[in-house]
Amino acid sequence: MIMSPKLQVFKSILVLVLFLSFHESKAQSDPIGEKRVTGTIAIKNATITTAPGKTIQNGTILIKNGLIEAVGTNVTIPKEAQVISADSLFIYPGFIDGASNAGVGKPTEPEKPSDFNPANPSDELAGITPWRNVVDNYDYKNNQVYEWRKSGFTIAQLIPEGGMIPGKTAIVVFGNSTSTNILSQNSAMVVKFQGARGGARVYPGTPLGIMAKFRDVYKNAELASRHSKLFASNSGLNRPEINKTYEALYPVVDNNIPVLFKVSDDLEIRRALSLQKENGFKLILAGVHDVEKVTNEIISAKAFVLLPLLLPDDKVTKAKTEDLTEEMQARTKRVQEAYQNNLKQAASLEAAGIPFGFTSMDAKSGDTFKNLRLMVENGLTENTALAALTINAANILGIQKFAGTLEKGKLANMVILTGPFLGEDTQVKHVIADGFMFDYEVKPKKNGNGEKNGNNGAVAINGFWEYTADTPAGSSSGTLEIKKEGDGYSGTITYDNPDGGGKASSEMKNISLSGSSISFSFDVAANGMALDVNVTGEVNGDQISGNLSLSEFGSFPMNATKKPISF
Amino acid sequence: MKKIISIIAAVLVMGWNPANSQTQKGSVLIKNATVLTVTKGILEDTDVLVENGIIKKIGKGLTASNVTTIDAKGKYLMPGIIDAHSHVALDAVNEGTAPITSEVRMADVIDPYDIGLYRALAGGVTVSHAMHGSANAIGGQNITLKHRYGSGIPDDLIMKDAARTIKFALGENPTRVHGRGNGIQPRSRMGVEAVIRNGFNDAIQYKKSWETYNNASKVKGATPVPPKYSERLQTLAEILDGKIIIHCHSYRADEIYMLINVCREFGITNIVFSHVNEGFKVAPELAEYTMGASVFADWWAYKFEVYYSTAYNAAILTQNGVITSINSDSGELIRHLYHEAGKAQRYGELTDEQTLALITINPAKQLGIADKVGSIEEGKQADLVIFNEHPLSVYAIPQMTFVDGVKYFDINEDQNDMRLKVEATESIEPIFLKEHDHKCMHGVDFFFTNFGRNLFDHEH
Repeated sequence: MIMSPKLQVFKSILVLVLFLSFHESKAQSDPIGEKRVTGTIAIKNATITTAPGKTIQNGTILIKNGLIEAVGTNVTIPKEAQVISADSLFIYPGFIDGASNAGVGKPTEPEKPSDFNPANPSDELAGITPWRNVVDNYDYKNNQVYEWRKSGFTIAQLIPEGGMIPGKTAIVVFGNSTSTNILSQNSAMVVKFQGARGGARVYPGTPLGIMAKFRDVYKNAELASRHSKLFASNSGLNRPEINKTYEALYPVVDNNIPVLFKVSDDLEIRRALSLQKENGFKLILAGVHDVEKVTNEIISAKAFVLLPLLLPDDKVTKAKTEDLTEEMQARTKRVQEAYQNNLKQAASLEAAGIPFGFTSMDAKSGDTFKNLRLMVENGLTENTALAALTINAANILGIQKFAGTLEKGKLANMVILTGPFLGEDTQVKHVIADGFMFDYEVKPKKNGNGEKNGNNGAVAINGFWEYTADTPAGSSSGTLEIKKEGDGYSGTITYDNPDGGGKASSEMKNISLSGSSISFSFDVAANGMALDVNVTGEVNGDQISGNLSLSEFGSFPMNATKKPISF
Repeated sequence: MKKIISIIAAVLVMGWNPANSQTQKGSVLIKNATVLTVTKGILEDTDVLVENGIIKKIGKGLTASNVTTIDAKGKYLMPGIIDAHSHVALDAVNEGTAPITSEVRMADVIDPYDIGLYRALAGGVTVSHAMHGSANAIGGQNITLKHRYGSGIPDDLIMKDAARTIKFALGENPTRVHGRGNGIQPRSRMGVEAVIRNGFNDAIQYKKSWETYNNASKVKGATPVPPKYSERLQTLAEILDGKIIIHCHSYRADEIYMLINVCREFGITNIVFSHVNEGFKVAPELAEYTMGASVFADWWAYKFEVYYSTAYNAAILTQNGVITSINSDSGELIRHLYHEAGKAQRYGELTDEQTLALITINPAKQLGIADKVGSIEEGKQADLVIFNEHPLSVYAIPQMTFVDGVKYFDINEDQNDMRLKVEATESIEPIFLKEHDHKCMHGVDFFFTNFGRNLFDHEH
């Protein structure tokens, strides 16, 4: 449980632990896709949506060595094929994540020199590292990759960690672990409105400085590029001073790759758009909020949009307002409207005719379908939702030649569901990524009238549990004590004290039991930081198997066993 | 509630229309007011006709068809109040990380949703000078805003025909942040002067290198190597070229006189001093060599360099021929600058016209916009405020505020919640009214964490 900042070192241990635990606990499923007897797979008798709005009933897909060989109702299945009878299953193109942090670690930051001048830091200390390639800090065996693939994602553009210009993205497929899985590298340059390390004390420290510094770097990259070209074709010139920041910007300045701007709200979108207008680079806006206020500007800038899969926590729609003063009621109503507005973002992009993709950044993989359904309930059409996850994202990433639809010749990436795309009870049964098949356990249908927080008799979580969690820092253990209180639960979790010595405990928050799925969160204070830990899992009798996730550090397996309380 | 939402929605929808990207201009006929023109005396029982954002006619018995008519009988009409030193509607104030940050632009961080804009309108303020903070010897490029609150579009707030200005700061703030905080120059008032001089000298070299390059480029077949680009030095060069007005945070007479001398040496005449608590000691120099002083009415003693102060400052400066204005530097004071001006009158016995000039035509002169706003004259932009009483009366309350002839505030249509934007994650807790920090040192508190007691609570 203890989050040492130096997580990288322990990654290999983590991976080992993950493999072991999965093999032990879920023998029938194959979430790691290692089981491939043949490179030829035929999935027959399925409802196949080859692209948004194009559906084949009782169709067959033939996959051969990672490529789609044929799709249709009249496909000859070769003898060597592994045949999967998919009656009652629904097949869609594998989802594409326009901007993802899955498996991406933090690069080692350089130490500050003893004569460090915060007014004039090196590019690296100012967070300007456009030469970095995210692949150098990508661990394709990270648990987050498993989690997102489990939600149907097969391709993602990876966003490097770091400061205002952290580096370049790469596009990867969530395939088999024997491959590096890289589809393309240095596909976009990332820019964020994030000041230098060291907060607002180091230049650039605020949006003011970031805007100015971006202009400075861009303009000087243009000049350096011009100088290099002159030097290459003329004699009698001073040599250009090689500067790796400027060199790393040449592909952007020459319009070969886009800038992916991570933005939060309409004001940041406008700032990114104004930098684009001044400098003329290709632009992808990622993580947009309040986008409905700037749709015209986005259209005229021909910018691409990646909408967050993350939706705000609903703190207000069920708020009780009867007892409030008139003023408080009015204010509550405005927050409710703001929340509703946020859910309508996707619909407003569709209405404005802006093709968009999604970004998973900061989102939880388990919420994917739930959030998509919320967006559809708020006006987004299912076809556009599917397009955003597939062909539109492929277009934005420039990979539509080989991804985004189910067609002969495209890479074999698809998600196989138990029901229609956004059906209430639909679950992911298989994911095929890079031609490898990943199987998932399908849970029995939820009891239709099951209470959210109560249990239907089959699942009881109240009691005393012992758990172990496998973290990069090694195995950690503790206890859960859960009490039923009215319709809900309360509880306490213990864990190894991060600040050393013995156990510490925290209150468990937001304990929720839905069917056999349990989730809760708790706060850990470590080294003066407050960490928010989220736990999700499946209850099976007196076992819980699940994951414990720390937003920044990743997600780790956790298993708990119920103990009888002895007095 | 519904009504506000629909008004806001309507404004937003209009804002979305690209054909409407020009800011809104209004037409209105205000009748029978006591018109305080500031520059042309007091006109009793007079009508002012505004057409398409411009004051078309001032006179008696004016008529106009298809124009909203407002009967202001018994009421006072004055030019929209102008605040020459404000930090309203900004997402960030201080890029306090380097002694010179002339490359940063306040126009980049305008927050059109700031409720402070509406509060300023309710205080009759139609134009504010949104400034960089005072953490650096040379701060960022300021932006002059017209309070066109409502569209949520930053660009709509920018007064496009205003002069360019930049923030400088002397004394304790830059020496504390950079010298004591970061161990770099400037650590003393001498260091501040050196930073400014070195900046200007570097800018002269920079300008020369680009001139050399541009001239060489004109020769046919030439392949000169471009120099490095620096918006920091480019901006300083434009100050030297007289294209940008300096607005300098200052308190002490010696530092004010120092910068006057530096500017004279570099041939700079476009300079306004802000705060200027010891300005009365160097009034003749301010009158002769600068575009004036923008002061507080009676605010001082919040740090060592601001003890030697007097409520007669504005009057002494005015009587010595210094262009003098009274500013807010605060989201609270901006709501009653007419009271602040009234204080200067109470102490220094200025005339009504001199007093009103402190918050209208004088700040307009200091911002280089006096030909457009700051007084009620035919041909000027229709930024107007109607008061129930004479604005220098303690009973004065603004009734309506117009920018470009468009009404943005009306005390009779003042809804409880005038926010344009609410966050979905906002927690709904009771609001307690309190005066917030004065924002010159906004965002740089962390520089002072080791300083112990709250000596710096009031941080201009």
